[in-house]
This record gives sequence, C-alpha cells and structure tokens, in this order.
Amino acid sequence: MNAELPKVHVVDDDLSFLNAISRLLKASGFEVLAFSSAGDFLRHHGPDVAGCLVADLHMPGLDGLGLQDALAATSNPLPILFLTGHGDIASTVQAMRSGAEDFLEKNAPKEKLLDAVRRALARDARERKARGRHDELQARLDALTPREREVLGHVVQGRLNKQIAADLKIHERTVKLHRTAITTKLGVRSAAELTRLVGLAGVAAAEAATFP
Amino acid sequence: MSWVTVIWSMCAAACLTLAFVHALVWANDRSARSNLLFALVAVGAAGFAFGELWLLQAQTPEEFMVALRWSHVPMWLWTVALAGFVCTYLRAGRAWLLWGVVGLRTVALVLNFVTGENLNYLEATSFKQVTFFGEPVAIVSGEANPAMLLGQLGVLLLLILAADAGITAWRRGERRQALMVSGSVAALLVAGAIEGNLIVWAGLQMPFTISLFQLIMLAAMGFELSRDVLRSSMLVRELQASEARLRDSQQRMNLAADAANLGLWVWEARSDDVWATPRCCAMLGLPARDRFSLADFTERLHIDDREAVTRGIRATLEKGLPYEVQYRVRLPAGGERWIEATGQLDHCGPGGAPRLQGVCADITERRRAEQEAARLRDQNAHVGRVSLMGQLASALAHEINQPLGAILRNAEAAELFLQSATPDLQEIDAIVTDIRHDTQRAGAVIDSMRALLKRRDLQARPLAMTELFGDVWRLLRADAAARHVRLVLAEVPDALPTVLGDRIQLQQVLINLVVNAMDALDDARRTERWVSVEVRRGDAHCVEVSVSDSGAGIPAERLAQIFDPFFSTKASGMGMGLAISRTIVEAHGGQLRADNREEGGASFRFTLPVFAARPAG
Repeated sequence: MNAELPKVHVVDDDLSFLNAISRLLKASGFEVLAFSSAGDFLRHHGPDVAGCLVADLHMPGLDGLGLQDALAATSNPLPILFLTGHGDIASTVQAMRSGAEDFLEKNAPKEKLLDAVRRALARDARERKARGRHDELQARLDALTPREREVLGHVVQGRLNKQIAADLKIHERTVKLHRTAITTKLGVRSAAELTRLVGLAGVAAAEAATFP
Repeated sequence: MSWVTVIWSMCAAACLTLAFVHALVWANDRSARSNLLFALVAVGAAGFAFGELWLLQAQTPEEFMVALRWSHVPMWLWTVALAGFVCTYLRAGRAWLLWGVVGLRTVALVLNFVTGENLNYLEATSFKQVTFFGEPVAIVSGEANPAMLLGQLGVLLLLILAADAGITAWRRGERRQALMVSGSVAALLVAGAIEGNLIVWAGLQMPFTISLFQLIMLAAMGFELSRDVLRSSMLVRELQASEARLRDSQQRMNLAADAANLGLWVWEARSDDVWATPRCCAMLGLPARDRFSLADFTERLHIDDREAVTRGIRATLEKGLPYEVQYRVRLPAGGERWIEATGQLDHCGPGGAPRLQGVCADITERRRAEQEAARLRDQNAHVGRVSLMGQLASALAHEINQPLGAILRNAEAAELFLQSATPDLQEIDAIVTDIRHDTQRAGAVIDSMRALLKRRDLQARPLAMTELFGDVWRLLRADAAARHVRLVLAEVPDALPTVLGDRIQLQQVLINLVVNAMDALDDARRTERWVSVEVRRGDAHCVEVSVSDSGAGIPAERLAQIFDPFFSTKASGMGMGLAISRTIVEAHGGQLRADNREEGGASFRFTLPVFAARPAG
C-alpha cells in the first residue's frame, strides 16, 4: 500500500495566519496543503492521505475539537497539532485526552512549532506502518477457513493437539494438518510467534472448556 | 299779588336756570351737543313764557296781537331746537322729518310777520277780560289765519319725528330715554296743539297756558339729561375703586414672585424699555433701578449664551413662540449664575406695540445637580463598559493574537527565505505587505478596546450606522465564533438618515445586547444559534435598531424587570448591563424595550432620534 507523500495539512479560518504559517512550513522544507475550514479539509481527506494536521482550536462551524472527533472516526486519523490564539485549560485537557500530538500557542517559538510538526509526521509514519502491518495480518487471518480459525483459537490457549482433537471431535492428524495450514498461511515458524501474532491481531480466544 | 305774574315769571326763570346749567355743561365739554340744544329749547321756552305773560296782561286787542306776533320768535326757537335735541339725544330720527320741521316753522315765522296780525289771527274781532287766578287776563277772538295750518303741520312733523326717534331708541333698548324724551315731547305738543286750536278755531274762552306744559316737558327732559351727570360721577367712583384693587393685586403678585424667588420683567419692544422687580435686577446682577434697556441686560450675559438668548428673543418677536431660554449671567462681584427665563409676547404696549413679559428664576443649583447626574451616569456607563470588556477579554485576546501570530510566522518565513542564496524577492514583498496589514488589524482591535475602556462624557456626533456596525463586528466576531453563534449584522439601508450619538456608548449598548443574546442561547441549549442585528427607519423622527435571537425568549413576568439594576438571571452577572444600556439610550433621546418574537426568541429594540440639520439663523 503506497500512501501519498506526507504533507502538513493546515486548517485555520483566519486567512492571514493560514498564509503565514503555510509560508513558514514551506520555507522549512515541508509539503503544505492549506484549508480555510474544517469542512474543506474533511472533504479532501481520505484513507491515502498521509502527514499531519495543524488546526486552529476556535473556528466557526466545526471547530478544532469537533474536527478531532470527526477525524478519529475515520480509518485514517492523522495526528493533530493544535494552535490557538488563547487556550483555556478545559480545551487543552480535552484535546490532549483525545490524543492530540501537541497543543501550542500561535505565537510559540519557531523551533517548538517545527519540532512538533516533525514529531507529528514521525508519529504518522509509525502509525501508518503499524496499521499497514495490522492490515496485512488481518488479511492473512481472513485467508483462514472457519475450521482453521477454530483450531487457532485452541492453539493459542496452549492446548495439546490431542486435547484439541477431543474437543473438536476430529482426528489428531486432522488437527496437525490444520496447524500446518495455519502456520503456512500466517507465515510463522513457532507456536510462540503464532501466539504473539494472534495477540497482535487481537483475535479473540475460542471458548475454552472449563477446567475443574 | 299777581299770581299770573308770579307763576309765569317763575316758569320763565326755571327755564332760564335749566338753560344756564346745561349751557355750562356744554361749555365744559363741547361735544355735549344735546346739552346745548336743550339749553336753546329752554331759552326758547323762557322767551315764550314772557310772551305769554305779555299776552295775558295785554290791555288792548292790538297789544295782544303784537304780543302774540312776537311770541312766535321764541316759539320758532324752541321748536327747531327741540327737533334738534330729540335727534341728537336719542341719536335717531329721520333727517327729512327734521328738515321738514325746520323748514315749515321757518316759513311759518315769516308768514307770521307777513300775513295778517300774526300767524294765528288775521284780525281780532273781540277783546275782553276774564278772571284767571283772581285777576283779569285778556281773551281775544278773531278770524283765524289759514297760515296757521302750516305752523301746525310743522308741529305735527315734530310730533312724528319725536315718535320715530322714540321708537328707534326703544328698539335699541334705550327704553327709558325714549319714553322720557319722546313721551314728554309728544304730551306737550298734543296738549299745546289741542289748547291752541280750541282757543283759535273753536273760540274757547281761556288764555294760553302753553308755557306751563313746556316747563313740565323741560323738567322731564332735564331730569333725563342730569342722569348722565350722575352716571359720570358714579363712573369716577368706580374707576377709583378699581384702581385701588389693581394696586392691591399688583402688590400681591410682587409678594408672590418674591416668595417664589422669581423675578418679574416686562420689555416694551418698541421703546426698548425693561421694567423689572428689584428681585429680578438682583438676580441678573444689575443695579436696583426700575428701568433699563435690552443692551444693559445682554451685557450681563455670558458671552457664549448671548447668541442663543438673542435668537430666542427674535423668534418670539417674529413668530410669537413662547420665550424659553437658559443662560448664565456674570455677577459684578465675580462668579456666575444660571438663569432660566420664560415669557410670552402680547401686543398690549402703547399703541398696540409688542411687549414681552415673563419671569426669570435662578436655576444654578438645579443645573449643578443635572451636571452631577450626567457625570455619574457617564461614570456608571464606564463601569459597565469595563465589565463588558472583562466578559469579552478572552475572545479579544484571541482576536489580537491572530494577527500577532501571523506576523511572527511571516517574519520567520522571511528570515528563512533570506538565508537562501537567491531569495524570492516577490515572496518577501508579499510577506512584508501581509505583516503591515496584520499590524494594522491588531492595532484596530486594540484601539477599539482602548476607546471602550476610556472614561469619558457622552459626546454626541453625527454617526453612520455602518461604522457602528463595523466596530461591533470587529469586537464580537471572535467571541461569537468561539461560542458557535452565527452573528449576523444586516446591511444598513442606503436611505437611512444620520443619527446623532456617542459612538462608544452605542457600541457598548449593542455589545451588551448581543452578548446577552448569546448568553441566552447558551442557557437555552438551543441547536439553532443565531443573533441578528438590524437597523431600519422608525417613524419620521427616529431610527430603530433591533437585536434578535433564536433563544427561548423572555418569560412574560420578567419583561418589565429585566431593565432593573441588579436584576440578573446569570449566576455571575452583576445585573447592570441592561440598566446602563437603557440609561445610555435614554440619554440619547431614545427608548429601549424588549419583546418576545412571534417565532420564538427575544428581540431588543432601541430608537435613536434622527439628526436634523439645524436651520440657518
């Protein structure tokens, strides 16, 4: 999956500030896209959009925090860096709790601003990578048949083949066959790796038989 | 003792006395022609009485005839004079009747001397003496002279004249005069005519006693005339009494004016002469003399007030408007006083000249109190503004930090550009322009804030609504955005007239109303959130600004209360905003009221008087 080139997306209803910060970011070597409203940005946004978002907190219509919520609901939540003319504590706390990368004043020193942008971009790259891996893993898991998935659930619990066979009322040999198919499809080499992978993918454990 | 002599002589004497008295009246007052004519009648009557006496004591028929002949002269006099008197006294009677009488009697007089023995007899046929009042008097019979008829006709006309004049006077309402004069004349003439004709034509054996009838008539008319004399002396007494009352009333008025600390003054415009009470003079700082001129007065006025006062006087003189001015006078001992003068124009001066009269009162204390009140009001408004600014502080900080932030970022970008080997000068130029704009933007917001925070008096200037709306937009935009309220300032209609107002204080009112509206929206947790500000022409004299919102409206029982000081529905509110806003609007001559809109939400409306340019002069 090839994402687009990472860009800094700037959203602010004050055109003068929008121009100024775009200039500064471009002069500092970033790719910049400017939007004068949250709505404009959301219309442009898609799963392939890469980079980060620099947004004003107070905007008419959909404001910064609302944009943050809207973005979080999509499949591609970019990291957000909030800039504000004046901050009140409540908004700051809310923004950070909802996962903003940072919260700065509009006239914060240049270095702080650029640092934050770099961090945001780096974070985006990391998260994108992680998502990529996750998606890939998910695809592989989807390739399993239902029966194989069932077996996988038991394997993850540490059950022996014999026990699995007894639970599922199949031959032990069948269980072994399934296990081979699983490890091949998933591309793992050991049970431990299998478990870790499954844990990563967040597959739910099968209903375990109750132990006395 | 000759009773005849006595009686006839007394009769003549009485007539002469009456003549004398009324001639004196006429001599005193030449316009009293009735009196003169009456005197002449009396003289004629006196003459006739002597004539009749001569007749009565005639010894021979020839003497009788001669006496009779000469008696017609005084008879002519009193007939003509009587006709004149009746017409003059009753102010009536047809002219042709009058001239008829005069003409006929004059002809008769001529005929008296020309025909026969006299007017009555052609010749005497018998002569004897009878006893009358115990003495012999002459009686004559003879051939009647037809010319006598002319004389009788004249007398008849006189009778008709008297009747005519009497009726006219009666109809006019002067019944007593008509009755007395015409009645007595008629009675005399009828009696005399009957006696005369009986003696001459029917040969009645009795002497002429016409004088006696005349005396009775004269007495009646003389009494009537003397009523006038009585009346005029009564009038004099009444005049004296009313003058005394007038003096009393004037004194009371002066006392009252003094007690109320008012000064009274009267200015005769034509002769430029002012009469003023001592209190008035003292108030104006003038020496306590009775009269002075308008120039003396204007000299005492404060220089700045002279024009207004002169204008006021002129307006009153030319258009008859009530005179109402306030002005300062400089006191000779130093210091000044505020005076309020009110007055009215009438035309009761000599010869209908215009006259201005009125009162003046010392209003220095009142003026000071008004100024103090205005000062406190402005102070109060200032407090309100400061409080308002507090509410807007965070939004305004944002409003300033926007341009400041942009300036900083632009400068940093420019720095970076300049570090490159070939800086893009066009880009840098654009940056510099943007920095300049943003500096101005920040400056404008700061200026608005400073203006709002400054303590100042109400300064009314011609105010364009567009500018006022612009200011309010600049100051409230950020706050509205932060609170998610759509603030709509409607376009000002082109034909809107200019109003007179204090820009800062009216900004305060508008801001207060809009912020209240936004608070109402918050309280009501509405989903539809807008505040709309509009202006339109009210009636011919005012402009109406309205601030409406999409809130829940104002509960009906609170509508009156909300303008009360210290009334607030907000936990943190001081409750002064609307009270101060109302004071400001009223100080501008307008009114502020609140209503609920039909579609829901509240609407606050205030009016401002239209600025009408002052007419020249």
